[in-house]
Amino acid sequence: MNSTPETKLSVLVIEPSKGVFNLNFRELYAYRELLWTLTYRDLRVRYAQTVIGALWALLNPLFTLLILAFVFGVVAKVDTGQNAAGQPIPHLLYTVAGMAGWAYFASLFSEAGTSIIGAQGMVKKIYFPRLIIPLSKAATAFIDFAIVLGFMVVLMIYYGFSPTANFVFFPLFVIIAIVSGLAGGIWMSALTIRFRDFQHVTPFILRLGMYATPIAYPAAAVPEKYQILFYFNPMAGVVEGMRWSLLGGAPLHWYSYISFAAIALMLLLGLFYFKKVEKIMADIL
Amino acid sequence: MSEIAVKIENLSKQFQMAGSGSLRETLAGLFSKKEKKEEFWALKNFSLEIKKGEIMGVVGKNGAGKSTLLKILSRITEPTSGKATLYGRVTSLLEVGTGFHPELTGRENIFLNGSILGMTRVEIRQKFDEIVEFSGVGKFLDTPVKHYSSGMYVRLAFAVAAHLEAEILILDEVLAVGDAEFQRKCLGKMNEIANDGRTVIFVSHNLGAVRSLCTAACLIQQGQLILTGSTDEVLQTYFNNNLGEKASFHRFINSYQNQTLTLRPTELAVVVNGEISGLMEMGDDLAFDVGFEADAPVSQIYLSVVLTSTVFGDFLHSSTHFLPTFRFPQPTQKGKVRINFGRLQLITGRFIASFWVGAAVNSVEVLTEALHFEIQEKDVWGTGKLSPRVSSMWWDTPFELLENS
Repeated sequence: MNSTPETKLSVLVIEPSKGVFNLNFRELYAYRELLWTLTYRDLRVRYAQTVIGALWALLNPLFTLLILAFVFGVVAKVDTGQNAAGQPIPHLLYTVAGMAGWAYFASLFSEAGTSIIGAQGMVKKIYFPRLIIPLSKAATAFIDFAIVLGFMVVLMIYYGFSPTANFVFFPLFVIIAIVSGLAGGIWMSALTIRFRDFQHVTPFILRLGMYATPIAYPAAAVPEKYQILFYFNPMAGVVEGMRWSLLGGAPLHWYSYISFAAIALMLLLGLFYFKKVEKIMADIL
Repeated sequence: MSEIAVKIENLSKQFQMAGSGSLRETLAGLFSKKEKKEEFWALKNFSLEIKKGEIMGVVGKNGAGKSTLLKILSRITEPTSGKATLYGRVTSLLEVGTGFHPELTGRENIFLNGSILGMTRVEIRQKFDEIVEFSGVGKFLDTPVKHYSSGMYVRLAFAVAAHLEAEILILDEVLAVGDAEFQRKCLGKMNEIANDGRTVIFVSHNLGAVRSLCTAACLIQQGQLILTGSTDEVLQTYFNNNLGEKASFHRFINSYQNQTLTLRPTELAVVVNGEISGLMEMGDDLAFDVGFEADAPVSQIYLSVVLTSTVFGDFLHSSTHFLPTFRFPQPTQKGKVRINFGRLQLITGRFIASFWVGAAVNSVEVLTEALHFEIQEKDVWGTGKLSPRVSSMWWDTPFELLENS
């Protein structure tokens, strides 16, 4: 047997865990290959069964986009402002820029939320840091993100828009969207294990969130007295910010930072709760 | 060799029975005083030391706490109290093919399963050819595993698991898979692992496997360690304990697990030299009587029997499935079938018979370990020598000199 040199003698102690908040990032890092493997599996399998499956991935956001643009742009005639160059922003383009961040969030949130239940066969049979499962969904959600960004590129060319200097901030908002989706997803995955009732909550939150988030309308259109409440929606700041980085226009309201703070807090508490549920996960699945 | 590989100290695991904590109950619980929930100790003050290189068989009845022990040692669930220390890299295998995805190819699943089991990509790549060869699915490596037969699927899954590099291996019944040839291969691989000086913790109902593989064994009963020692000693105790509870060579049946049966067993009996008895001597004639009753007259019955030695495991299977010529001369609604083994040369010891009785192969009542009987020593050779207990049967084989010079 040729054992690797670094495995002199690893000692594993199994004990009831103490009530301290221990995320054990080192272990998470040690299991990074599993994270890649699970991500690869999800990507490979996602549209494996049908050709139509991949088409649905396009049609779904396309129709959402058209409906939102119709309701807010044609019927309600929401003012979308103009970019730094003074060009008025067409409503369709405005909406697609808002949808990008939301599409990523919604995909990650719903996939991660059901991820533990979906992987219960594994959870009951083998040990690994359970956090890997919702984390692995962060990459697959990029498919939905990319599709909307694809629409975006097409529309920008069509309307003759070019990206502004704000674009350098785009990656930052992508990161905030990832964190936001994970925060929500981690919460949901743990809650769903603990209380199956939450399975029905995810679609509800997403439907509500789609309208409570400034996807097809500017946050500024919300009456001043509701603004602060509005920005408690973690996605409000991300969607506004991402659109700003893509199209320019009105700068971010300082309330956005409330959104970002809400996201950070949500992630922290979510991790805490997840760790708590992780201990009994295999027993209650 | 006397180095300790696994040290378990007072390990306990408690489950709460009533009300697993639904949302409604939890919300209601916020406003009411805490009620005492029913508690259940799946494992209670379990202590055990396993030496390096030892292959420890864990035996016990269903629900005795074997799985809980394995789950704690595999870190799937946390103990309520106590401690276990494992010295060395641990891999546990509670199932073959964990994480296998039907849409992925055999090749992809090898990598997927390997990394779920804790192998690095480099390790998997190094062992890839070996794994493929062992599994024997080489031709279908790039076919999605959903097109595999169940045998191929299991072979591939076990092949990955068999190539894990771990100093401590935790195994749960994974040998109970695949066809006979593959099982032999698995047992061979297990032996290889054992001779490698690795420590193995092995839970199985396949007592033959426990006996032939394990160098030591322990017996769990109701979450507690009853006995630890040599495999022979532990297996014997396990059966003696078990027999005391439900030893029977003749029984009537009136309740059924399968409610959809159109043909039901009503009576089972061990028949020794033509008479119902639970005791026979080596060399006696053995038969089983199976009484049955059907909803309407039938001309056929599905009947299978498996004989199990309490020491050597399952060793004989006989079934009407392979004898379609066994038909009743006229349609019969109620009757009795005799399964006649004749002079079945069983060695001394205790034996168990399990039955599958029904109208067809897919509609049966399963009567696991339904009958027990004991075989006593007899001087069958007429030489005054006792038969050594090395297998479940003896045979008066003629020996013949073929060549001499």
